[in-house]
Amino acid sequence: MAFRLSPLALLLLVSCATPSSAPSRGGATEGKPAPVARMDGEQDGKLRIIAFGAHPDDCEWAEGGVGAKWAALGHHVKFVSCTNGDIGHWGMAGGPLAKRRAAEIKKCGEILGTEALALDIHDGELMVTMENRRTICRLIREWKADLVISHRPNDYHPDHRYVGVLVMDAAYMVTVPFFCPDTPHLTKNPVFLFSEDEFRRPNPFTPDIAVSVDDVIEKKLAAMEALESQFYEGGCNGGPHLVPDPKDPAAVAARKKQVRGEFEEYFSGPTTRHRGALGKYYGAEAAGKVRFAEAFEICEYGRRPTPEEILKLFPFFPAK
Amino acid sequence: MASEKLRVIVFGAHPDDCEYVAAGTGAKWAAKGHAVKFVALTNGDVGHFAMAGGPLARRRAKELAACGKILGLTSVSLDNHDGELMPTLENRKTVVRLIRDWRADIVISHRPNDYHPDHRYTGVLVQDAAYMVTVPFFCSDTPHLAANPLFLYCDDKFQKPAPFSPDIAVAIDDVVEKKLDCFEALESQFYEGGCNATADLVPSDAAGKAARRKQVRDRMRGEFARGERFRKALEKRYGKKAAKVEYAEAFEVCEYGRQPSAEELDKLFPL
Repeated sequence: MAFRLSPLALLLLVSCATPSSAPSRGGATEGKPAPVARMDGEQDGKLRIIAFGAHPDDCEWAEGGVGAKWAALGHHVKFVSCTNGDIGHWGMAGGPLAKRRAAEIKKCGEILGTEALALDIHDGELMVTMENRRTICRLIREWKADLVISHRPNDYHPDHRYVGVLVMDAAYMVTVPFFCPDTPHLTKNPVFLFSEDEFRRPNPFTPDIAVSVDDVIEKKLAAMEALESQFYEGGCNGGPHLVPDPKDPAAVAARKKQVRGEFEEYFSGPTTRHRGALGKYYGAEAAGKVRFAEAFEICEYGRRPTPEEILKLFPFFPAK
Repeated sequence: MASEKLRVIVFGAHPDDCEYVAAGTGAKWAAKGHAVKFVALTNGDVGHFAMAGGPLARRRAKELAACGKILGLTSVSLDNHDGELMPTLENRKTVVRLIRDWRADIVISHRPNDYHPDHRYTGVLVQDAAYMVTVPFFCSDTPHLAANPLFLYCDDKFQKPAPFSPDIAVAIDDVVEKKLDCFEALESQFYEGGCNATADLVPSDAAGKAARRKQVRDRMRGEFARGERFRKALEKRYGKKAAKVEYAEAFEVCEYGRQPSAEELDKLFPL
């Protein structure tokens, strides 16, 4: 469920809201976090990035572009949804929806070149527990992450906020050997970043890093199309009126075009909001030409990167 | 205040945090006969690179007892696992009872945006005990306080959502050696380096050990040379003498406790 759409876009995407279905105690999707493929990437000189989102679409939405850019350079990127998304639809819920959404993010992973995982926690029910802190801590350690991305703890949805809290609470603790001693600790606290939201209190998002995703926007838009249950069908606040008859190819194409158009507009938002931050990394002239961007804030609880280190972690910017 | 003597309780996350943030001010209060208690909300049992669990918790409790002797106050830890402090109702009640049992006039804790989850939740738990300590039928087994104490935060360097505001600063030049003695007594954390260190840090020969002790003492002396950082707040209390202050501790008034006037606040703290 990603509703950080502007009210206008939301109105376009979802022309009338229907109540979300009741939570189902239905089946599971992926079980416990799968054992991480140790691709010996630890020594391959490549970066290792892990992003946590609340629902199976949030990472793709917030950092799908930069994820694809890292992946294209051979860096290792994993997108983790902390819930299974099992109430994220107007007409279906429970295990079947969780499985459907797990398949959607898997497809996104193929498009973007990233790994995808959804934890089997009910949508709308993520809480700040020790068990969840340990899960996040282990995932960061197993991935041997250099960089960790999450929502801010003041985003719009409780699941988003608690992802933010859980990830903040894993910062530093990932370096403590006898916390979760079953999983080797990291000797270096990763850099922790927040993805963008539009909330102002208690403090607004700061675009410490802004990245052009023009070169990968087709991949990001393709990922949004693959997240069919959420965007084409409108997710939990959508309705059957959004979904054309599959036997009517013109109507199907029109709906796809509509969704794509809304995302093109939405993903150009950071560009106008963060022209200054883009200028810092691309120079004012090049920044003026960027169409699509993603922006990130440095969390105070991770390692604090120097400007030089930021350039190493985001190896995308033109040499000055 | 029931008498002229103050009663102060300081909450830290781990068995060294109260000493780190308030040993100087604590020692100054204690020297004037005020009653000061330091409470670590966790037992610190993952706070070392090579040892953990019960043996480490006991070792750190002993380190606190030694600090208490140095500073002239009581320093204890609660038996909660390090790295696992959560803002539960049970923990809130524990904190409320401790504040009430101590009949505290002043309560000090971390801010809820410090670097470590245990620090943040210490801040949350103490905030959540403010006001509730005055409610008679909350924890009705422990007599409530007639007045909400003054709640203070100790300093940290985090900027979001708001930076630390040094509402009151205390010069600790006269007791800084005691504070540094504490860091020596907190051997597992400073001399041996705590959870992020390695065995290489600890020398085996006598000369190496002495050099390591000196290194720790010098580093901590540098760390608390905060006269410059808190100069403005020091000037409010010490006037021109503030310029000579080398070592300082500072505190922020929490909005959820009693709100004293600036003059009253000034009187509560030792010069």
